[in-house]
Amino acid sequence: MFLKRLFIFTFALLLPLETAPAEAQGQKNLSFPLSHYELKNGMQVILSEDYSLPLVSVVVAYNVGSLNEQQGKTGLAYLLENLMFQGSQNVSQMQHISYINRIGGIPNADTKEDRTLFYQTVPSNQLALVLWLESDRMKSLDINPSNLEQAKEALIGEIQQRKANEPYLESFFVFDQFLFSDFAYSHPLIGSEEDIRNITVEDVKDFYSTFYVPNNAVLCIAGNMNKIKAKELLAKYFETILKGKDLPPLPPSKLPEKKEVIETLKDSLVPSPAFHLGYRIASSRSNDFYALTVLDYILLRSKSSRLYKRLIKKERLAYHLSGGIEKRKELATFKIFAINNNEAMVDLCQKAIFSEINKLKSSFIPEEELEKSKNLFKMDYLRRFATSLDRAIFLTETFLSQKNFENFPSELDRYLKVTPSEIVGIVNRYFTRENSVLLNIKMK
Amino acid sequence: MRKKLFLLVILLSLRTPLFSQERFRKSPPFPEPLQELRLPPIESAILTNGLTLSLVFRENLSLISLQLVILAGESSSPPNLPGMATFTANMLDRGTLSLSSSRIEETIESTGGDFSISTSLDYSSFTLNFLEEYIDKALDILSKMILQPAFLEREIENVKRTMFYDLLDKAKDPEFLAKRLLLQLLFKNHPYSKISFNEDFIKNMSQKDVLSFFDKYYRPNNAILVLSGNLNLTTASKKVSHYLNTWENKDLERSFLPPPPPNDKEKVCFIDLPQAKDCTIYLGNVVLPITSPDFFPFIVLNQVLGGTPNSRLFMNLRESKGYAYFAFSDVEFYKSCGVFFVKTKVTPEVAYTSIQEILKEIRSVIEEKISTFEIEQAKSYLIGNFPLKIERFDNFSSKISDIKAFRLGEEHWNKYYENIMLIDSEKVFEVAQKYPLLTPIIVVVGDKNVVIESLKDFEKVEVYNSKGILQYTLTKGEDK
Repeated sequence: MFLKRLFIFTFALLLPLETAPAEAQGQKNLSFPLSHYELKNGMQVILSEDYSLPLVSVVVAYNVGSLNEQQGKTGLAYLLENLMFQGSQNVSQMQHISYINRIGGIPNADTKEDRTLFYQTVPSNQLALVLWLESDRMKSLDINPSNLEQAKEALIGEIQQRKANEPYLESFFVFDQFLFSDFAYSHPLIGSEEDIRNITVEDVKDFYSTFYVPNNAVLCIAGNMNKIKAKELLAKYFETILKGKDLPPLPPSKLPEKKEVIETLKDSLVPSPAFHLGYRIASSRSNDFYALTVLDYILLRSKSSRLYKRLIKKERLAYHLSGGIEKRKELATFKIFAINNNEAMVDLCQKAIFSEINKLKSSFIPEEELEKSKNLFKMDYLRRFATSLDRAIFLTETFLSQKNFENFPSELDRYLKVTPSEIVGIVNRYFTRENSVLLNIKMK
Repeated sequence: MRKKLFLLVILLSLRTPLFSQERFRKSPPFPEPLQELRLPPIESAILTNGLTLSLVFRENLSLISLQLVILAGESSSPPNLPGMATFTANMLDRGTLSLSSSRIEETIESTGGDFSISTSLDYSSFTLNFLEEYIDKALDILSKMILQPAFLEREIENVKRTMFYDLLDKAKDPEFLAKRLLLQLLFKNHPYSKISFNEDFIKNMSQKDVLSFFDKYYRPNNAILVLSGNLNLTTASKKVSHYLNTWENKDLERSFLPPPPPNDKEKVCFIDLPQAKDCTIYLGNVVLPITSPDFFPFIVLNQVLGGTPNSRLFMNLRESKGYAYFAFSDVEFYKSCGVFFVKTKVTPEVAYTSIQEILKEIRSVIEEKISTFEIEQAKSYLIGNFPLKIERFDNFSSKISDIKAFRLGEEHWNKYYENIMLIDSEKVFEVAQKYPLLTPIIVVVGDKNVVIESLKDFEKVEVYNSKGILQYTLTKGEDK
């Protein structure tokens, strides 16, 4: 058997000590081993050791999400996440969870528009168990009418419960339809009740056999492991799974035409008027994305950020404020959602936001404020390595979006080098009227 | 024809891997031998003003977690001012002689950091996380908060308002109400009862009270500072001394707090929460403190009963009977005692039956020895789960604070694996007999109109309002 790895590398990200601290800060913070290779069936493997505690985390990511759903079949990706816990050839219904729970581990899963993750942290002596479980559901998921019905009921129940508990939920879906131009990007991840009811066993089997295949998966192990043994286990459990067909191309990520959109939604369920304001910003692959991320922190990521300070604390124009950058594959948007006490406040609140944006267009942000924003970003960035699971998820997501780790060692530094003039530049470039979408939510 | 068919079968079986699979897929692999648990090294020193400094060495991440523990929690609040310890703690970041509260917030954020406050029965703790290159800035702001607090009237009013609305908001949560009343009744007449303060007490707080509480308890000889990060003790001691050496110590009378007596007769209490769809039940009693030699067997016992969805309570009330959304048990440990409690959320009609099922499960661990298989499963969960609980910096710092505040000795957590491994069915059986698990206080929270009917089989039900004040008592057979 030819176990030829296409691509193997390991790098230590430590820089020599004498490098100037300010320059080296980014790299110095990420001193851990990392290696990546490909199994012969196309599955991507990332390994990152950490021996501090007897724990190991495993993430299995499938490069699929609601973006891959067809019209009339919404909710399929999320439904399949649920079905992945309903049993496979050698693991009965819900047994995956109970195997992991019994040994003190914690399992979970998460579906987004552009990827689906399954993950668990377990005592390090149980790595083989996790790989056995994950490989069984990758190879032989049990999709039958009875467990499909159960999964559908669960999902529909969740939709109904969320709609009852989150009065603004519907408005987020409506807003996405204005913000994104095509169906793939704009429809809600949780799907529509009607579509879910119509999903058949064949639909699920098709989706599973197309996307839940080794050549569409990334597996990351982070934590306390013997790397040689880990590779042997991966070869045994995963390399023996047949490669799937070539993957269908993604729907094109069309940029919506540049045109200001102002819409109103009248809703009898909402307790207060509110609004969504969004900007279509640069693709996550663009160089502007670094400055846009820092801008996110300047505007609304902390209690002393510009919008939070002005709208919530000083002028009390809104009693809820949230948002920030959101990525769906390469399309990125900047969203702001505010809830106000009354209509007059909605108006004042929007004016205040525009005035803050205009300030950023015309004057440089003070050095001290920029540094604070970068430090908050840096802290969040570093926290993504705080536990073995955090690290495994971060490495997996980095790989999914960049396809390699070439830029990874210098990535943090790139954010920390953003200058005041770059901020002025991106605000002027992207935070324009013709890039904006405003959805006012009025009480019926 | 026959031959052709035979060939087809072979071809089919080759092409459909579902029908034939490798042997190793059929059953789960055996685990490797368990790896040793080595906790990060901890070093401690006492500074000249009496401040205990503990250092947890962690090299992997470039951030530092600082935890300041003041050994005064709600049990130290004045008898007429329950909530005072929490209130004073909440005042700490509300302004110093030179910095406004928003300036403090900005300074902390400029280190990439965040600040959080929590108060328990025995101590108040302050957590400050920051990027390691800002250690001086972080210690500087911490020292200003401790050495030069302003306690301005305006800020006192702000904290009052925030705490008042926060408590009002929490009072909508049936689990919060149930637990608060359970602790209030278990700790009746004991200094621990002050933890159950409600929003009415907040308005009584004055600047004078805050100053006097602060002056008495916020002293270096009554405090522990835990730093986790890539630091050594010498550097850390120097830095901490530099910023906090003018913090003056003061003699403090430390009285021994005896444990509250356990509840000795089953007692049923009800809180009406109009429009609550479900019925929330908390029941429990006073048990051993964390320092007790029974600690390890008791947590194994708790695990078997209700630690996870695989435990007896969940399997019975949810999986088998379908009464409950969840059913767990837990033990919280304080300096003088622990509290063992069961919590569940059930449909209102089965409130009475659910309580009987819970008591039946408790009775069964007292009357019959738990099988070795079940004990081993519980142990395997506890051993596997422990490192997950301490993986985060701040979680581990809390464990270190416990060691210092409760005088546990480092081997308490260091020898966790060994101590759990030693537990067997016999030891668990012994501790199950020892504590009054069958005479709990039972608190039921739900909508009176739908729940009360199902409680009519109890001899007596005390009805409380959401503030924990007794309204009236229902007696079996009598109408109210």
